[in-house]
Amino acid sequence: MASVADMYDVTWEDMRDKLRKWREDNCRNSEQIVDVGEELISEHASKLGDDIWIIYEQVMIAALDCSRDDLALTCLQELEKQFSDSHRVKRLSGMRLEALERYDEAGKDYDAILQDDPTNTAARKRKISILKAQGKSTEAIRELNEYLEQFVGDQEAWHELSELYINEHDYGKAAFCLEELMMTNPHNHLYCEQYGEVKYTQGGLENLELARKYFAQALRLNNRNMRALFGLYMQAGHGAKENKCSVKAVEEMLESMQITMS
Amino acid sequence: MGEVELSCRAYVKMYLHCCLFPRCSVNGLLLSSSGSTGGAVCVTDSVPLLHSHLPLAPITQLALTQVDVWCSQTQQRIVGYYQANACVSDSSPTPCALKIADKISEQCENAVLLMFDGSKMAPDYRVPPIVMYERRDSKWTLKDKHTIMLRQWEETRAIATQMLESGDQALLVDFDSHLDDITKDWTNQKLNSKIAELASPANGSM
Repeated sequence: MASVADMYDVTWEDMRDKLRKWREDNCRNSEQIVDVGEELISEHASKLGDDIWIIYEQVMIAALDCSRDDLALTCLQELEKQFSDSHRVKRLSGMRLEALERYDEAGKDYDAILQDDPTNTAARKRKISILKAQGKSTEAIRELNEYLEQFVGDQEAWHELSELYINEHDYGKAAFCLEELMMTNPHNHLYCEQYGEVKYTQGGLENLELARKYFAQALRLNNRNMRALFGLYMQAGHGAKENKCSVKAVEEMLESMQITMS
Repeated sequence: MGEVELSCRAYVKMYLHCCLFPRCSVNGLLLSSSGSTGGAVCVTDSVPLLHSHLPLAPITQLALTQVDVWCSQTQQRIVGYYQANACVSDSSPTPCALKIADKISEQCENAVLLMFDGSKMAPDYRVPPIVMYERRDSKWTLKDKHTIMLRQWEETRAIATQMLESGDQALLVDFDSHLDDITKDWTNQKLNSKIAELASPANGSM
């Protein structure tokens, strides 16, 4: 079976740099990380120096995503040998148990971390992930709300909470979470557009008006946001005669951007 | 109640859609190219729609409109809806699934609601990992397994597994991906040809 290095004609340094880029961009392309990382670890470990530990962590998490427990265990064991008392490694051990659906044992690991260090956000978030994986949305929402009372600035958590609320069809609360995100990220067109979608879904004259404003704002921030453009179009088609000119305006905008299927 | 037949192409595309986004809930529409024949429904194609924010309205409405228009241009009609939940242990229809299925059944009498059962999608699965619902007395109830037909199930399963192993799910375009890159074709003509190629030695008229 051809190695990654041969297939793509890359050196081990290229592979190491690629892994670093994926780490920095927080990409979840687990299959690729496993392919590249596994080869790097097995054939070039000695050249990696201290980088190897963070690569072990990255590859381990990707391996869990791809059900490669063999690889995950290897990485975990190396990390446990090197960092025997680390909370960070204990969390990885918990994640492995989660992947094996041994949620109670995973929960115990996280509880042990939190006893030692009650401010450990990673362990708290993993406990919430366990609730989510078990389908216990109400509890997950409650725990996440408690978490956010303490850690108000955690954007990832606000976004997760908005997703949980959307899945529970609690659009009002989802909108609140997105408002928090828009306050701290006023230039993020994705949050504006998602907020518009939530308002549109809530329905009613006021909400549709808000939806229109936020779709427009999203487009101002990024004029290639197709969801915002279509959202504006759909909203313009809703309702009274005075909106006919909005429909025309959107059609003209579409034409000027020459966005067609073919 | 009426029989439902699921074609190879419809099944393989749904399956690849689930495999392309294993961490998300995905949904899509089921289409039929034949007219209704006394209660029996023949699902000949599927259109993958979303893999994010399934319960939100605007994009779903947009997709339904666009698929409707495409169907009237290609002599097909929307006969059902499928969904696969992110949570593997839960294959029951969500409120938004029921809502969309209700809307479809307003236009199509024998509409079908199909849920994927994630727990049965292991590599060595022997039976189709799907659960079907039909509308009886304004409620969606489980369909009798014997009224669901997948012709040449072994070949279909082999094609789906083969395409998964060669990474062909990356070719699949759902409506969400189309919105991210408007040049991508959500009708998946390329994938359809590939499936037809793989199916043709088995049966010319798939």
